[in-house]
Amino acid sequence: MAIGKSVIRKDAWDKVTGRAKYTNDFKEKGMLHAKLVTSPYAHARIRAIDIEKARSLPGVRAIITGEGLPLTGEDLRDRPPIAFDKVRYHGEVVALVVADTLVHAEKAANLVHVVYEPLPAVGKPSEALKEGAPLIHEQLGSYQKNEHTYPEPNTNIAHRTKIRKGNIEQGWAESDVVVETSVAFSPSDHVAIETRCATAEILPDGHIIISASSQSPFMIKRLISTYFGEDVGNIIVHTPLVGGAYGGKAPVQLELLAYLASKAVGGRKVSVWNAREEDMITSPVHIGLEATVKLGATKDGYIKAAEILFLFDGGAYSDKAIDVSRAAAVDCTGPYHIENVWCDSLCVYTNHPYATPFRGFGHSEQAFAIERAMDLLAEKLGMDKWELRRKNAIRPGHTTPTQVVLNRSNVGDLPACLDRLRELMEWDEWQRIEIDAYTVRAKGISCAWKTSTIDPDASSGVLLTFNPDGSVNVISGVVEIGTGTKTILAQIVAEKLKMDVNDVYVKMDIDTQTTPEHWKTVGSRGTFMAGRAALEAADDAIRQLKAIASCVLRASVEDLEVGYGKVFLRDDPSIYVPVKDIAYGYKYPNGNAIGGQIIGRGNYILRHLTPLNKETGAGKPGPEWTVGAEGVEIEFNRRDYTYKILKAFAVIDIGKVLNPKAALGQAMGAMSMGLSFASRETFLFDRYERVLNPQLRTYRPIRFGEHPEYIVEFIETPQIDAPYGARGAGEHGLIGMPAALANALSLAAEVPLNELPLIPELIWRKKKGDSHDSI
Amino acid sequence: MIPFEITYHRPRSIEEAVHLFDTLQQQGKKPLYYGGGTEIITLSRLHLVAADAVIDIKHIPECRTLEFNPHELVLGSALPLTTLEEANPFPLLTKAAREVADRTARNQITLGGNICGQIFYRETVLPLLLSDSQAVIAGKDGVKQCSIHDVFLQHIRLKPGQFLVQMKVDRSYASLPHFHRKRRKQGKVGYPLVTAAAIKKDGQIRVALSGVCPFPFRSKEMEERLNARHLPLHDRIEGAIRALPRPILDDIEGSAAYRLFVLKQMLFDMIDELGGE
Repeated sequence: MAIGKSVIRKDAWDKVTGRAKYTNDFKEKGMLHAKLVTSPYAHARIRAIDIEKARSLPGVRAIITGEGLPLTGEDLRDRPPIAFDKVRYHGEVVALVVADTLVHAEKAANLVHVVYEPLPAVGKPSEALKEGAPLIHEQLGSYQKNEHTYPEPNTNIAHRTKIRKGNIEQGWAESDVVVETSVAFSPSDHVAIETRCATAEILPDGHIIISASSQSPFMIKRLISTYFGEDVGNIIVHTPLVGGAYGGKAPVQLELLAYLASKAVGGRKVSVWNAREEDMITSPVHIGLEATVKLGATKDGYIKAAEILFLFDGGAYSDKAIDVSRAAAVDCTGPYHIENVWCDSLCVYTNHPYATPFRGFGHSEQAFAIERAMDLLAEKLGMDKWELRRKNAIRPGHTTPTQVVLNRSNVGDLPACLDRLRELMEWDEWQRIEIDAYTVRAKGISCAWKTSTIDPDASSGVLLTFNPDGSVNVISGVVEIGTGTKTILAQIVAEKLKMDVNDVYVKMDIDTQTTPEHWKTVGSRGTFMAGRAALEAADDAIRQLKAIASCVLRASVEDLEVGYGKVFLRDDPSIYVPVKDIAYGYKYPNGNAIGGQIIGRGNYILRHLTPLNKETGAGKPGPEWTVGAEGVEIEFNRRDYTYKILKAFAVIDIGKVLNPKAALGQAMGAMSMGLSFASRETFLFDRYERVLNPQLRTYRPIRFGEHPEYIVEFIETPQIDAPYGARGAGEHGLIGMPAALANALSLAAEVPLNELPLIPELIWRKKKGDSHDSI
Repeated sequence: MIPFEITYHRPRSIEEAVHLFDTLQQQGKKPLYYGGGTEIITLSRLHLVAADAVIDIKHIPECRTLEFNPHELVLGSALPLTTLEEANPFPLLTKAAREVADRTARNQITLGGNICGQIFYRETVLPLLLSDSQAVIAGKDGVKQCSIHDVFLQHIRLKPGQFLVQMKVDRSYASLPHFHRKRRKQGKVGYPLVTAAAIKKDGQIRVALSGVCPFPFRSKEMEERLNARHLPLHDRIEGAIRALPRPILDDIEGSAAYRLFVLKQMLFDMIDELGGE
């Protein structure tokens, strides 16, 4: 009824008319405003902070500095909410000024005088690992951490994930051809339209009311309780619509500052809102990477060994970067069957802004390394690049780098994706053609896969309530971050209850006190986990409806069916009772009533997941993989090194297309982000590791009008345990884009391009390195 | 947010504007003339601009003039770039304006603001340098007109209290063969690596550049080298490159060496298109 249809998003009308409200739109009289004082240095000792002058300004209520605050961090508690003793990145918060208005706060913030003693700063992870590199966390060995995080004290290594599968020596012995390649890129940003914002208020009765632009309202509640010893039941987090997140709103940062600010002013409501510049560097960023990949294969193109080193630029604090580095390790080989794998994935501290997930969670990053190596291997073997990928494509029966045995349900059908991509791209027609003296067209491809490595005990709950007309309300902890997941949940419920999706209402905003928890709205888990919970809640409601109807209709529950607003006899639908007559209890003509309000209840918890073995990485990191094959077609000018991306292709096995237009939007949006990241987005650092372009004037994402034609198709290999067979689909379009673009450009320019972003100057520089090439 | 207190003033005449500036200054305040305001907003949030008052010149009729006289174009300094693009009185200027920022910003950015701004690309000045335009300037001593070359050298040279009212261009320039090209680090929006504008008048190429140095300029030396037709084309271009003012920009948009690479190709294309062989 509702599944498979392009149902218009429930949040569409408010958004297209500009009426949708986001965290910073909820202004309140008497609300105070906080302004951050941030560090102009990437690494410096804080010698003194003079707040006297700022404190004396009118309207200033409090100025908070970092002493005495607990350390924070999800896997490793290494980050003071406000820097204390030293700053570790450019943009780090050193003080927080709370005042009557934002203007008052900003004026006072400008008068906070901080004396710094600059320290040597380190930017590249490879530099941070060298002997004698500045140590960013001297106390690394004493930080609290969770059981599966392995920091290496007296180094800049926050965590190391090891993958040891098969016998790497044997892999090399079986290999006729070996290639090795290195790639690198710096941190960049998510550039969500809505900058991050949080408000906090502490009521006299002890309730702590937070509003936050966040993917993790339930985590905010837990962490504030953990860090500050507040009773978790006293903490209530509200999240309205979120204006783009892409992983950047998964970590908890401003919420802690808002809480501290409110506490400092007697519990009054305080708003902490990032200006764009702060949102770009003070709040966590998209991770950078240096990677080396070595692949060995037989003459006929079967890959026998992979040795991979990922050095992730986690920045100054490890927070979620540890998870990202682990996720990249889990899928380190890309979607290829390789029996012998050695991988070390390090989360390295540097003096860069600290990193957090970016749509794809380490996978576009990982794929860039692997897929460049795949092209190189194909070239060395003299083999077609598509053929090499098809030959080694992962299939049911194979195992992943962490030794999970795959089946059709949990891995889908990569060969089918590759086959369709080959047709769509007309791959066999040509891969590189010279149009005229300067113009070359070229195609590049990449495979993609991803599982979601979220906490093994993450769960999701859904409540269904009824309205007096028999329509339904869906209440889920999934945050509407722009992906349309709440509409998908409505479709799932409508399908199950056999009703019109327009009669299914969704609660858009989150209130952690009344909304059942959804762990975090991350990792393409909304549809899978909340969808399963929604199905269970619908079943629960159906069971209750049938129980009442069974009395009313004097029929056994087994003979009843729910649908079309009725509970009816399966063999004679003319005998029925309307849902609206029983959803709030059934009243007999004599006034007696039975049943009562129906509340459908459902939850889902991930199954059979395990942490990774410290020495081998063996373990089950996620329930399913989504696989895909992607490509780009570019037109390159050999004279001036400029290029146009003409077409971008994706064929993704998402199990089941629940909402075609929504799925297309997710894939295309992700592809656009991937191309923007690959072709132009990066932070630029000076030699003191300060960010030179924390503004949209100089950090320029892809614009409307600069897009290629997007060609997206889906393969449907059901994931048996997922709602209607649908796999995660929110991120996968992004994963292959950077590698596909680099592969196409490398082919066009006839020079290996292993850095991002792929700007014409980079290509010029690489070509010039060839020396014999001149203008 | 503009992180300081400012008063906003909207004079209706040149005299009123000049008088306001003077009065505010005498009160010990720092006034700024204000056109579209994009740069004031952009730079003040970075604490790179400060003022106590802004004097909005958009409501002064002379600053909004867009006139096609028989011999002269009169372009008010407060005309938004998009208005100039749509009216298209001077095709080369239209091309230069159209490449600045994005459409939304250009609805705000004015001709005068782009020429007089701190952000040093000031690309709309290039056609005005090439066409030996006249600048109409208002100040305490009244309104005067002078050659752009007398008031614009890398940046506008105005005395305190003066502001640009209009630019006047001899109409014959509007129909001359011309060349305009802008190359950015990547994509279609952003600051230039190199913007080159050129016209051909009486068989001679005139060229003005932005993005190459931390100021826009027209260089007679470069023009002489480029027009030295007795020399091989390659030597003319090498000569022009050597005649560039210094320093060559080397920044987050691109390295100096890459800029020169881009510029050199543009000069070849320019001569090719304008027929300066």
